[in-house]
Amino acid sequence: MTGSLRPLRGERVGVLLLLAPTLIGLAIGVFGSVLATFVLSFFDWDLLSPISFAGVSNYANLPQDRMFSSALVNTTLFSLLYVPLTLGIGFAVACLMNRHIRGISLLRALFFLPVVSSPAAVGLLWSWIFAQDQGLLNSAITALGGDPVSWLGPKVILYSVVSVNVWGAIGEAMIVFLAGLQAIPRELYEAAKVDGAKPWQRLVHVTLPSMVPSLFFQGVLSTIHAFQAFDYIYMLTRLSNGNSTFPTLVFSLYRTGFRFFRMGDAAAQAVVLTGIIAVFTLVYFRIQKKLGAEA
Amino acid sequence: MSQRSEQMRGNAIAIVLLLAGGIIMVAPFVWMLSTSLKVPADQYSRTLIPPILTLDNYREIWSLIPLQTMLWNSLKIAAIATAGQLLTCSMAAFVFAVARFRGRDILFFLLLLTLMVPSQITTIPQFILFKWLGLYGTQVPMYLPSFLGGAFGTFLLRQYFKTIPIELAEAARIDGASLITIYWNIYLPLAKPALAAFGVFAFMFSWNDLFTALIYLPSDPETTTLPVGLALFQQQYGGKWTLMMAAVLISVAPIIVAFLIAQKQFIQGISMSGLK
Amino acid sequence: MQNWVKRAVPAAVLLGGLLLSSTALAETELKLMLFGGPVDVAIWEKLSAEFEASHPGITVTVEVNDWDSYWEKLRVLIAGGTAPDVFAMDASNYPDWQARGALLQLQPMIDAEPELLADVYPVSLEAYQTPDGYYGLPRDFQTIALFYNKDMFDAAGVAYPTDQWSWDDLRAAARQLTRDSNGDGSIDQWGLFAELIDMEAFWSSVLWSHGADIVDAANGKTLIGSPEAMTAWNFIAGMVLDDKSIPTAEQLRQFGADGFQAGVTAMGLSGHWSVPDYAPAGFRWDVAPMPKGPAGRVTSVNSAGFTIASTTKHPAEAWELLKFAIGPEAQQQLAGIGFAIPIQKSIAEGPAYLEQQSAPIDHKLFVEALDYARVKPVFRGYEEWASAVGDALQMAWSGALPIADAIQQAVDDGDAVLANAR
Repeated sequence: MTGSLRPLRGERVGVLLLLAPTLIGLAIGVFGSVLATFVLSFFDWDLLSPISFAGVSNYANLPQDRMFSSALVNTTLFSLLYVPLTLGIGFAVACLMNRHIRGISLLRALFFLPVVSSPAAVGLLWSWIFAQDQGLLNSAITALGGDPVSWLGPKVILYSVVSVNVWGAIGEAMIVFLAGLQAIPRELYEAAKVDGAKPWQRLVHVTLPSMVPSLFFQGVLSTIHAFQAFDYIYMLTRLSNGNSTFPTLVFSLYRTGFRFFRMGDAAAQAVVLTGIIAVFTLVYFRIQKKLGAEA
Repeated sequence: MSQRSEQMRGNAIAIVLLLAGGIIMVAPFVWMLSTSLKVPADQYSRTLIPPILTLDNYREIWSLIPLQTMLWNSLKIAAIATAGQLLTCSMAAFVFAVARFRGRDILFFLLLLTLMVPSQITTIPQFILFKWLGLYGTQVPMYLPSFLGGAFGTFLLRQYFKTIPIELAEAARIDGASLITIYWNIYLPLAKPALAAFGVFAFMFSWNDLFTALIYLPSDPETTTLPVGLALFQQQYGGKWTLMMAAVLISVAPIIVAFLIAQKQFIQGISMSGLK
Repeated sequence: MQNWVKRAVPAAVLLGGLLLSSTALAETELKLMLFGGPVDVAIWEKLSAEFEASHPGITVTVEVNDWDSYWEKLRVLIAGGTAPDVFAMDASNYPDWQARGALLQLQPMIDAEPELLADVYPVSLEAYQTPDGYYGLPRDFQTIALFYNKDMFDAAGVAYPTDQWSWDDLRAAARQLTRDSNGDGSIDQWGLFAELIDMEAFWSSVLWSHGADIVDAANGKTLIGSPEAMTAWNFIAGMVLDDKSIPTAEQLRQFGADGFQAGVTAMGLSGHWSVPDYAPAGFRWDVAPMPKGPAGRVTSVNSAGFTIASTTKHPAEAWELLKFAIGPEAQQQLAGIGFAIPIQKSIAEGPAYLEQQSAPIDHKLFVEALDYARVKPVFRGYEEWASAVGDALQMAWSGALPIADAIQQAVDDGDAVLANAR
C-alpha cells in the first residue's frame, strides 16, 4: 500500500465532504438501522396505535407463528439445494468456459442473460412455463405421452422454485469463478502436466486449491441470496389471500411487517434472519481458514 | 495422442455442453418472444413460430395498463439512483484509494462488513423513518438511499482507482490542486470504463427492485414501477398470456439491450468485485 | 410554507363552521376514495359533480382503485397521515379500522337526523353497529347466488338448476359437467367455480346450511371444526379432491381468477357484483338461488359502506358527502350499473334496480335472498383471522394436509389470532 496522499491541513474538510454521504449511510442507513430493528423487536407497534413494550414476547411467539415456522423450514431446504447447485453448476460452466475459443464471449453473455433480467418479469414468464394444464412444460410432457406434473403444487414446488433461482444465478457464479480461474498461473498447470497429472488430478490438486477464495466468496454471497430469496417466489407462489404456497423468511417478514403492520414481530424475524446469515458466514470463514492452512 | 488434438477434443466437448446449457438459459426468453407475437386464440399452441403473427398484444397492452407511466417511473427512479450511486460511491472510493488518514482502514472494513448485512434488517427502520418524514407513498425512498454510498460500488471503484498511478495525483498536488479538484478533474475522467460498468449495475439493481417498490409504492399505477406493475397485472389479467408476455418483454428489453451493449465492461465489473 | 397552511386551514374551517350554516360552507376540498373499476370512476365523477352543484363551496376529488390496490393504498395513506376524507369500507374489514382509531364516530350526526336510516335494510346496518354507535354506514349489499352456463348444461344434457336444488344435486351435476373434452388426459371443463379460501361466496353458506357456525368472536372461538362443520367440509373436499369438479386456485391461474367468466366452469357461485362482468360473456347464462343443505337454505350477506377519516379536517362537509353517497339519488344511479344492491328498500324493490339494463336475469332473486341470508361475520382481527384460516384451507385444497388436519390447524391458528385481537 504505497503511494497514498496525506491530506494537507486545509483539505481535511474536503476529505470529510467526500466521505460524508458514505458516513451518513453507515451511521443511519446501516448501523443505526440494525440497532433500531433490534430495539423495535422488543416492542409492539402497528404504526397507528401507540407503541408499547413487549419484552421478549415477539421472539417467544415466533415458534408458534405458523407462517414463520414454515418459512424457516422452506428457506433452509431451499438454501441446502440452492447454494451447492449454484456453486457446482457455476463452477462447471466456468471451467468449460475457461478456454480460448472464438465466439465464447457470446455464450458467456447467454449464461448471463437471466442475471440482468428483472426477476419480477421473468417470474411471470416462469409461471407460464409451469402453468398446470396448458403450460409449456406440461404440454410438452403430455405431448410425449406423460402425465402432467403440478409444478407449483406442494410436492414439487421446492424443486421448481430452486430451479428457477439457480437458473437466474448461474451466470453470476460463473463470472466470479471465471475470474478466479483466469488468475491461476499457467505455470502451475504446466508443472502438473510435466509430472504426468491427468486432467481430473489437475482439477483436484491445482484448480480447486487455488479456487478456495472464489468458492468462499461466492458461497457467502449465494447463502445470503438464498436466505433473501423473494422476487421469484413472490411471482410464482403468491395466493389470492396474500399468502404464498411456499413462504420464505423474507416473504414472511414482508407480510408480517408491511401487510399486517406488526412491526415488532417483523423486526424480530429480521433479527433472526440476520443471525442465521451471520452463523453461516462464520462457518464459511472457519472452513476457509482450515482449507487455507492445509493448502 | 498429440497435445493439440487432445485440446481440440476438449474444446469440442466444452462447446457442445455449453451450447446445451446456453439453450436452457435462453429458451424461456425465446418462448416469451414467440408467445407475445401470437394471437390470443393461439396462446396454448405449442409451435415456436406463431401460426398467425401479430403485434396486437403490444398495441393492446398500452391501453390496458399505464405501462408508459410505469416505464417512465422506473426509468426516472433508476436514472436518479444511478447518478446518486456513481457520485457518492466514487467520492468515497477516491478517498479510500488516494488519501491517507487515521482510521481509514477500519472505516473501509466497516463498509465491507455491510455487504454481509441483509437488507431486510434495515428495511423496517428505514420505512418508519420515511413515513415520519412524510415520504411514504412517494418515489423518494426509492432513490434517496442511493445518495448515501454503498459498499459494492465503493469497493469496485476503489479497486479501479488504485490502478491509476499515484504520481498523477502527486504532480497535480505540486501544481496546487486540491484533493477535490484531483478527484473531479483527474480520477473521474480516467475511471470512465469502471464508472460505466458500475453504472449499468446500479441501474439494473434499481430497475429490477421489486421488494422496495412493493413496500413504498405498492399499488398506485401513477407512481409505481414496472416490477410492481407486472405483479398487479398478473393479478388482474391472469390467463391472458399473450398480453402478459408482451408486458414482460417490454420490461426486460431495456436492461438486456444495455447489457449487450456494455457486456464487456459489465462482466469485468463483476470479476473485479469478486477477488483481490 | 406548507406548514403554516396546514395549521391555518383547520383554524379557518373551524371559524367557517361556526359562522356558516349547512350549505354555504367555506371553499373546501374533499377527497373520496373507493374500490371499483372504470364504470365506478364514471359514475362517481358524475355523482360528485351533482354533489358539488347542490353544495356550493365544496369540491370533490374522486379516486377509484381496484379491490387489491385499494386496501394497500388506504393503509399507506392512513399510516402516512394523509387519509382521504371519505372512503369506501367493507363490512368485514370495518372493525379493524375502527379499532385502530382511523374512523370518525358518526353517531352524533346520525342522532341529529333520525329519519336518515328509516328505509335502510336493517341487516345491512347490523355489521356497522358498535357498542358506542356507528363509525360507518352501508352503501350497498351483496348476497350470493348460483350462476350457470346454459350452453354447457345443454351440451351435457343436464337439467338447469332449480330453486329445489340441494347441495347433493349441485355436486351430482358438477360431476357430470366436469370433463376432459379434448382427451389429452387433463380436465378442461369443471362443474363449479367457487372461491375456496375466502368464506363469502361458498364455504360460509355450506357450513351454515349444514347447521354449523363460523366464529364466536366475543369468546374468541373459531367454530369451523364442529361435527356439523366437518360434514360440510367433507362435502367440499369431496367436490375438490375426489370429484375434482371445482378447480383449485392453481388450476385457475392459467385462465384468470374467475373460472365462470373464463368459460371453463359450468356453474359459479358469486354475488351481483359479477353480473356486469358476466354480461358480455360469449355464452348464455342465468342465475338460481343458493342450493339447500340439511339445515335449510342459507346464503351470505355482506355490505360495502362509507366511512369518514378520524383525521379529516372537514367533518361536517364529509358527513354531507357521505349522506349524499348513501342517499336515494346516488343509490338510484348505482343500482342502474348493476354491481351491487342498494341498501334503500324503496330503490332495491323499485324499477331502478329490478329493471336495470346490466343483464336480463331475475335481479329480484338477490333481494329475496335476504330472507334466508346470514351476515358475513364481522369482528376485530378479521383480516388476520381470515388469512390464518385461508392459509390452512389452502393446505387442504393443494393436498398437502388431509381436510380434518387442515381444519384443526385453521381452528388453532384462528383462535390464536382472536386471542391477540381481544
